[in-house]
Amino acid sequence: MVYGLFLVSGLAVGSLYALGGIGLVILRNSTGVLNFAYGAIAAASAMCAWQVAEWGLHGVLSWFSAIAVGIGLSVAYGRLIAPASAWREPAVKAIATLGYMLILLGLVGFIWEDALRKISLPSDKIAITVLGVRVTVTRIIAFTVSIGAVIGMVQYLHRSHTGLNMRALADNRDHAALLGIPIVKTEALAWGISGALAGFTGLIFGSLVRLEPTVITFMVIPATAAAICGRLTSLPMTLVGGLFIGVVESMLTLYRPAAPLRTMAPFVIAALVILWMQRGQKLTFAKEA
Amino acid sequence: MKFTTTLFVGAAALCLASIGTSALTENHTPVCGLGTGKVATGDPIKVGGINGNAPPGDFSGGTDAAAAYFACVNANGGINGRPVEYIVENDQWNPELAGQVATKLVKDERVVALVGNGSVVSMAVNAKLYKDQDVMVMASGCAISECYESSNIVSTNQGPLPSGIGALTYAVEELETQNAACIGFNIPNNGGWACDWMENFMESKGLSGTSILMDPTAVDLNSVYLQALSEGADTILLMLPAGPAIGLLKVAEEQGGRDLFKWVSPTPLYDPGVAEVLGDYWNDNLFVNIELTPFDSDGADNQNWVAVMDAFGQDGDRRDTFSQSGYISARFFVDALLELDPETLDRATVTTAIKGIENATSDLLCAPYYVGDADRHMPNHAGRMVAYTGGAFEVVRDCYDIQSSYLKPIRAQEKALGINQ
Repeated sequence: MVYGLFLVSGLAVGSLYALGGIGLVILRNSTGVLNFAYGAIAAASAMCAWQVAEWGLHGVLSWFSAIAVGIGLSVAYGRLIAPASAWREPAVKAIATLGYMLILLGLVGFIWEDALRKISLPSDKIAITVLGVRVTVTRIIAFTVSIGAVIGMVQYLHRSHTGLNMRALADNRDHAALLGIPIVKTEALAWGISGALAGFTGLIFGSLVRLEPTVITFMVIPATAAAICGRLTSLPMTLVGGLFIGVVESMLTLYRPAAPLRTMAPFVIAALVILWMQRGQKLTFAKEA
Repeated sequence: MKFTTTLFVGAAALCLASIGTSALTENHTPVCGLGTGKVATGDPIKVGGINGNAPPGDFSGGTDAAAAYFACVNANGGINGRPVEYIVENDQWNPELAGQVATKLVKDERVVALVGNGSVVSMAVNAKLYKDQDVMVMASGCAISECYESSNIVSTNQGPLPSGIGALTYAVEELETQNAACIGFNIPNNGGWACDWMENFMESKGLSGTSILMDPTAVDLNSVYLQALSEGADTILLMLPAGPAIGLLKVAEEQGGRDLFKWVSPTPLYDPGVAEVLGDYWNDNLFVNIELTPFDSDGADNQNWVAVMDAFGQDGDRRDTFSQSGYISARFFVDALLELDPETLDRATVTTAIKGIENATSDLLCAPYYVGDADRHMPNHAGRMVAYTGGAFEVVRDCYDIQSSYLKPIRAQEKALGINQ
């Protein structure tokens, strides 16, 4: 019974990690960028949603504003900054997004000074009981959307023309350009989809966990661990990785000596997954030469 | 005769009006320092202040209030004619920066003391510097053990340990708590320190206590809540800053936890913004220990804090417990300096004067404030209890002290100084 409680609780948190990871992988697959600013975009989106609600506008407007801001901030980086590093090494591209993360975090801190805030969604008040745990509809939405995003994106990548373009870009950017694939447009679309997911994740995270920009920003760390479980390419494995991390983190609460250290779970799991993926291979940098 | 009568009636009306509106601040004139109404123009006295204002929190309330009080003092004759030049630095929660700004203030600017400090990082990093340089820090926003276990730091706020035990004292005595879970951050000199002493307190009462420590960035608050449930606790002590505490209360609300536990907290949840985010669910089910008087108290000194902030504060200055605390620190500091010869005033004389503070009183505090020459300081360890009700906080128990073996050396100091708290 107790395990059931923690399993359900872990799945709920894991779905947030998975959502973040999926947004990272979608972008990484088509642009080659591991976007460390994903959490900061989510934080800015959540704060905008709060601000719109604070202005007294309809709740639906505030939710959509989160997604719109997520798309806007993500596409802005994708169109204005990312092209400058498009031909650089993956590490350089990733580090550049760290700069964007710091800029966004600073801006959010400048606009909204530290204070107690919360985002309330109508779905927070409705709940069902699963294995003794009350699960709100907000948590069910997070879980469903993470699965829906994986199924939807896999279908989209394999069945649509733009999805094909994204896969071509992911395989080889140079070749895709030579084939006449509209790189800028395709990449902007990927940044937009990733930004929409970031906005949605920020909104849900702000409601379920807490509306603190720093906490939401650094949600990108367990999300990256989930993405690593999917080798930064596989959406289904990222989903599984995110959920697994959430459940392990939750279950560790039951083991007293490990409970205070349970936030290490994402990193330990990601490291173990990397070791597993590298099994039987020799460490070499030949491919980078 | 007619003129005299008119004057008398007018004066009486003014007196009545002032009595009737004593709780209001609109016409309250701030009282500061010498109260001469003349701007101090002498050689400035450099005083420092360090706050931590960056994610994850804004601890600038103490320095904001101290700055406002010093501005008021400077407009009222200063320190016997010398104005206070208050230099405030922000360590941005960065240990390296905390060391740099403290060195700048203490060694380069040669400040005579630091007042209104509110920083978690700076206290841990700079306690040794303050001792080595024999400069006193009259802090206002402390939350870690170093702040209360250093010879040259004395804070007006209680921090999590006394305030948390104060909350638990109320829970044991009024809410029939038998088994409490202390949920705090997994930081040895913060959550670990305070929760350990909470366990000692419960043990001393023949009751059970357990610590549930979590990472400050922990996302999975649901599991933290469930752990408390699995420990069999009947009371939860939220030894957390307001943000995570609110997050945990939200999770508890989801799980219907209001009726499963008694909920108590130290001061951080006593924040002007809490009512807006808590809603009605927690009415009459959340009890908070407060380290200073309620924000709306009509005590003369509390009203003076409000008046000083209104007249000399800046837009956006926080009006929280740290702000009240910063005001008191600055006021006691100024009172101590006014006893000195302004011509010979330097760091050594100021340090001696601060250590000589005894029986300083304010209606913001439950007991007299003192410093003394000791290896640790905790002058404020008595507080009040408020209940969250009707979207606001109401006092449910007035001033009471805590009983903890942690206070043994503090009690010994007080006995030596002839202070009976």
